[in-house]
Amino acid sequence: MRDLPGLPSRRTFLKASAASAAVAGVAAVSMPAEAAAPAPTPLTEYKPDCLKPTEWAFVMAAVARLIPSDGDGPGAIETRVPVFIDKQLAGDFGKASDWYMVGPYEPAASPLRGWQTPLNPLEIYQQAIPVFDDWCKATHGKIFAELDAATQDKALTSLQKDEMKIKPELREFFGILLANTKEGYFADPMYGGNHGMAAWKYIGFPGARGSYKEWVGKHNVKYPLGPVSISGERG
Amino acid sequence: MKTFFRIIGTLVVLGVVALLAFIFVPVQRTGPVTQLAADFKPAKGQGEYVMRAGDCMACHTSEGGKPFAGGRAINSPMGVIYTTNITPDKETGIGTWSLDDFRAALYDGVDKEGHHLYPAMPYDSYRKLSEEDVVALYDYFMKEVQPVKAEVPETKLAFPFNMRFGLRAWNWLALGDAGFKPDASEDAMFNRGAYLVEGAAHCAACHSPRNLMMMSSGTNAKDAAFLSGGEIDGFTAPDLRGPQSGPQQWTTEQLAEYLLTARNAHSSATGEMALAIRDSLQYLTKDDAMAIATYLRKIGAGKGAAPVAEKAEVTPTQTLLTDAKPDMPLGPRLYLDNCAACHIVNGKGAGETFPALDGNSLVTAKSAKGLISVILHGAELPSTERRPMKLRMQGYDDRLSDEEVATLATFLRDGWHNKAPAVTAAEVKAVRDEAHH
Repeated sequence: MRDLPGLPSRRTFLKASAASAAVAGVAAVSMPAEAAAPAPTPLTEYKPDCLKPTEWAFVMAAVARLIPSDGDGPGAIETRVPVFIDKQLAGDFGKASDWYMVGPYEPAASPLRGWQTPLNPLEIYQQAIPVFDDWCKATHGKIFAELDAATQDKALTSLQKDEMKIKPELREFFGILLANTKEGYFADPMYGGNHGMAAWKYIGFPGARGSYKEWVGKHNVKYPLGPVSISGERG
Repeated sequence: MKTFFRIIGTLVVLGVVALLAFIFVPVQRTGPVTQLAADFKPAKGQGEYVMRAGDCMACHTSEGGKPFAGGRAINSPMGVIYTTNITPDKETGIGTWSLDDFRAALYDGVDKEGHHLYPAMPYDSYRKLSEEDVVALYDYFMKEVQPVKAEVPETKLAFPFNMRFGLRAWNWLALGDAGFKPDASEDAMFNRGAYLVEGAAHCAACHSPRNLMMMSSGTNAKDAAFLSGGEIDGFTAPDLRGPQSGPQQWTTEQLAEYLLTARNAHSSATGEMALAIRDSLQYLTKDDAMAIATYLRKIGAGKGAAPVAEKAEVTPTQTLLTDAKPDMPLGPRLYLDNCAACHIVNGKGAGETFPALDGNSLVTAKSAKGLISVILHGAELPSTERRPMKLRMQGYDDRLSDEEVATLATFLRDGWHNKAPAVTAAEVKAVRDEAHH
């Protein structure tokens, strides 16, 4: 599925609220006091901008498998990737506002031709999640969010390989789910994900500082400063 | 006793007469400083050139309004002064003004009816214009400017500033002789620069301190306070003569470059200076810009000598920023996070693009308002004919708190070779709140 360094093991589903608390603790230690932001709404109490409860439950469960919380480094839950996805789907990306979305549509055209479905990303999430949940129920006995982690991994693999033969209008679903999860993990915190710049700290990315000119000639020296976000958070 | 009352009575009457005379006897208007030949005709374009040098358009045009139709609100410490319509419209402009009326406004600060103009109109500087330039300017306004019928809001200052006759006394004290007297010991270039700086370009209006009576200190270089820095709307207009001032640290060519393009190897113009360059100075010829630069460098601490080349040294500030240790204080950390990409760890920026912050008069100004304003709201270089790119720095008002801006500004004011006092969060808040009005 995904190949993030240092994430060899699988884990059982970590309760979102517990994970948030854990991350808040980490943040308090590693960030300068003046930059410590007030703790955000726990994911279990978050009111999504556009996702309905069943969709939210699916996204929470799915991203937790795509970037799990066990092993080294933060997972998608601690970095609040579901919030990022909800906000993106509620905004221009979800509505495909600045895409060419005029027919003719050929959903079954070669995937090499890119986005051929008449649906926008939000509609794909909205239509594909029930289809996938139905398939999970028929195949594994429960909807996706209620499956155990190992079965969830299996189900996601099946989705990726399109074993359920999802209709062509929805074939982009797994692709955008995975892409949006990575984006939410690594994007600037101002978009709702990468909470506390935890993903940047983990991979050593120094953020939006703009220039590191004086470091170009320093070979094999670790850059000492933590990251900075677009809105000025210091990590 | 009777005699006593008679004396008192006489004194009172004399006092009243004097006061009435002070108020009602028309001001003696200054005539031409040189008698021009009867057939004198200004060269083509000369009037417009004087208008540009004098920057008439900037004040006498309202935001988005027709050129010279007036109505711009000028915030003065006494209240809002509305500029007048100086188009040749006969009813609302100056269409019925004679050359003598026009000259009296420039020289004596009185309008056609003899009312005193508020000294927001820099007649204490325009008073130095040559008769040739006065005639050229008059010719330009009467023949080349489009008449615009537009009434402007009446200027209503609070008592006692609404008593315009009081300006008569102000004028007695503030105005020197009309006309420009060249310095015989200096060359033509120096004197051309002096004529422009002291006269049309009215540099002293901002760059000279004003005394308690709001008069510019000095009208020429003989006065040490002349162009030694002033204040405008809470912003510091920098000193131009001290050893650390820009004009004395730069070469004559670099100073001329700055006046013509708003940027040079060291710095770039912000605030009111950017506007003065956009609306006025960029229209000067290269020769006139060089003349101004020559004059300013000659009257300063450097006495016109070439500036001493900077020593290539690594300051402790640069070392601190280069090391980038995680336990560094917040000020330099904010600089690295927000500023260093363009202004560089050595504080030197990049010539003609990113101004140096080391030795920058805006950074070390007495009032930190300009520095705070640029950090919060950013800055934009004006587009000039020679350098059209409007280079822009973004504002950081949404990224930095008042405390952070204060900490950063304090670091800048004390970094590299700078030595200026700290900035408080309250000062930052005041600038931030002002922008929200």
